[in-house]
Amino acid sequence: MCLGIPMQIKTIDGFNARCEAKGVERDVSLFMLQHEPLATGDFVVVHVGYAIQKVTAEEAETAWQIYDEMLAPEAGRDA
Amino acid sequence: MTDATGWLEKIKALPLQDNVRVMNVCGGHERSVTLSGMRTALPDAIELIPGPGCPVCVCPEEDIYQAIQLAVEDGVILVAFGDMLRVPVNVAKNSIRSLAEARAAGADVRPIASPTEAREIADQHPDRQVVFFAAGFETTTAPVAAMLVEGIPDNLSVLLSGRLTWPAVAMLLDSEDAGFDCLIAPGHVSTVMGPEEWAFVTDKHGIPAAVAGFDPSSLLAATYSVLRQHLEGKTFLDNCYQGVVRPGGNPDARKQLDTALFVDKANWRGIGEIPASGFSIHPDYAQHDARLRFTDYTADERRRAGQMPPGCDCARVVLGKIYPNQCKLYGTACTPRTPVGPCMVSDEGACRIWLSSGVEYAA
Repeated sequence: MCLGIPMQIKTIDGFNARCEAKGVERDVSLFMLQHEPLATGDFVVVHVGYAIQKVTAEEAETAWQIYDEMLAPEAGRDA
Repeated sequence: MTDATGWLEKIKALPLQDNVRVMNVCGGHERSVTLSGMRTALPDAIELIPGPGCPVCVCPEEDIYQAIQLAVEDGVILVAFGDMLRVPVNVAKNSIRSLAEARAAGADVRPIASPTEAREIADQHPDRQVVFFAAGFETTTAPVAAMLVEGIPDNLSVLLSGRLTWPAVAMLLDSEDAGFDCLIAPGHVSTVMGPEEWAFVTDKHGIPAAVAGFDPSSLLAATYSVLRQHLEGKTFLDNCYQGVVRPGGNPDARKQLDTALFVDKANWRGIGEIPASGFSIHPDYAQHDARLRFTDYTADERRRAGQMPPGCDCARVVLGKIYPNQCKLYGTACTPRTPVGPCMVSDEGACRIWLSSGVEYAA
């Protein structure tokens, strides 16, 4: 449950952002990152719908590589 | 930057004489370790032990029972992270054993993926009471605190089973047999709380420790760090997830945790009470505390209340005392399809991770 998914900010409206990763868009709360200046195009680590940390594009890419590998065997698993 | 293969070579070059037990305390770490085949790739002298890294696994049995009763008896809309729905409680045969069974029996139980969904459901049903049953470690509890601080409708309450990760490790280290020689500290818990939370492992106990991310390269870097510390006899808290884990953690998240919640003694399923290891809702937010707002069913007379199910060895799996495949129910009576214990239910449970990765029973 502590998994964090890196996503890219597409739009910001107050504490709410529309974020995208791998073609999937989600509403994300920025309420826990009020101390961090954020702009469209930035990457954030998202956990249960809340951005918990701003990261660089390189860090986001590294994380996605491992999640691709980790999640692949899950496909078709008993859910 | 050294890649996973490079770290593996560095580890293999270390002059390890005796076995070294390296514990992780994060379901995400354990998943990456198991799926990447790291145990097989590393020298035999290195044991990688999954420790207390699954909040669903230690969520009090009586809290799950309470959530079931609120859905069935009080008729609330009960929302919870999906992992919680299939965790069984100890009740008589033919009674409702889980939130999923309560749902099948007609109770309004809804899985959610975010606290914001709980708020949306409460907004959509102003005439109904909505209870958010929230189990999780610091990373997941902080968004629950953020939700409370930001403001929620009057008809939404939280049944909180939030836990801190480090006190279980402290309990193991304070015991006579901790069961490990080195610690891989959790990544996203440290993102929120700051890596300093783990300094007691190196400073007080002289046990090597390193914070790791979730890719094999970061996990192997942390493993190399703790092994070197072990060999050199000099311990320091290393941070092998620097881009995401920063000194002091996430200041907003910590402030929101301090505002809406407070640290309290807490019960861990099958393990017992650990001092200052849980979160409770701050009195300023008492109107949203489901424990104060609704009937308390936890005092109901039930056999094995609070315990793991009969025959289930989840408590020893959680504490790293045995490997998942050393439980006699592993893969036979207990599978992801028909889980007996919580470690086979949760995606972060070591039993589920091992079985879904094809690890066989250790006869």
